Amino acid sequence: MSGKTVNIQPPAPDSDTPQAREGSARDDMGKPATHRKSEVRLGREVQARIGQQLRAMYDDVVRQGVPAHIADLVRRLSEQDDGTA
Amino acid sequence: MKLDPAIRDQVLATVPSLRAFAISLCGNIDRADDLVQETLLRALAHIDSFQPGTNMPAWLFTILRNLFRSEYRKRRREVEDADGRYAESLKSHPEQTGRVEFSEFRAALAKLPSDQREALILVGASGFSYEDAATICGCAVGTIKSRVNRARTRLADLLAIDSVDDFGPDRATRAVLAGGGRS
Repeated sequence: MSGKTVNIQPPAPDSDTPQAREGSARDDMGKPATHRKSEVRLGREVQARIGQQLRAMYDDVVRQGVPAHIADLVRRLSEQDDGTA
Repeated sequence: MKLDPAIRDQVLATVPSLRAFAISLCGNIDRADDLVQETLLRALAHIDSFQPGTNMPAWLFTILRNLFRSEYRKRRREVEDADGRYAESLKSHPEQTGRVEFSEFRAALAKLPSDQREALILVGASGFSYEDAATICGCAVGTIKSRVNRARTRLADLLAIDSVDDFGPDRATRAVLAGGGRS
């Protein structure tokens, strides 16, 4: 279970800067124009912040990369396959 | 017959995101890694049904989601049982599911119905198009859109965000302090 010891990284330094906020308010979640109505109702900035938190949480895991045991599994399976290699 | 190294690399490249999605479904990293392993076993056993040039992440996410639905969910209470196991697992393993500063956000996310949470994560975090998310979830594009909208509305309510400042570092600090006093 070596994949469990996670190197927890510090928060992205720009995550709370006005620039970052504006940046993600621009195309947060890639939502199309049809969602503008609810967006206006909820507030673009609020939704931008939710999008940021969501991605930050998700990327925390993504940054862990491929755990060794899973990489081994994929390599083993792709080498053996059905044994005719 | 060996697997095409290019295909293998595509699979490996998808694993980090696949794990993040699995954790969001399971709420627990060990269970999520089991799910990812099962998904990879199944995917590589049926790699012939993957059409090269098509969307590898969407293909793997679909397999993982179907496995989760068919096997894992049966064995446990509904994920949307927010006061139950999903929420519990998040509380009891904060160090496994991520930084403690997200605890408040995670708790809110855990209260969403699972179909809404899943749609929000696929579109808002994994970066899939509405079309791909619909394929992964086996539903119409319009359904995904409305789930994402409802999820975002509900999250804003749950987090009671009145302003951006209310969701800033101070709030995160309070969440850390609150998290430290818990359990």
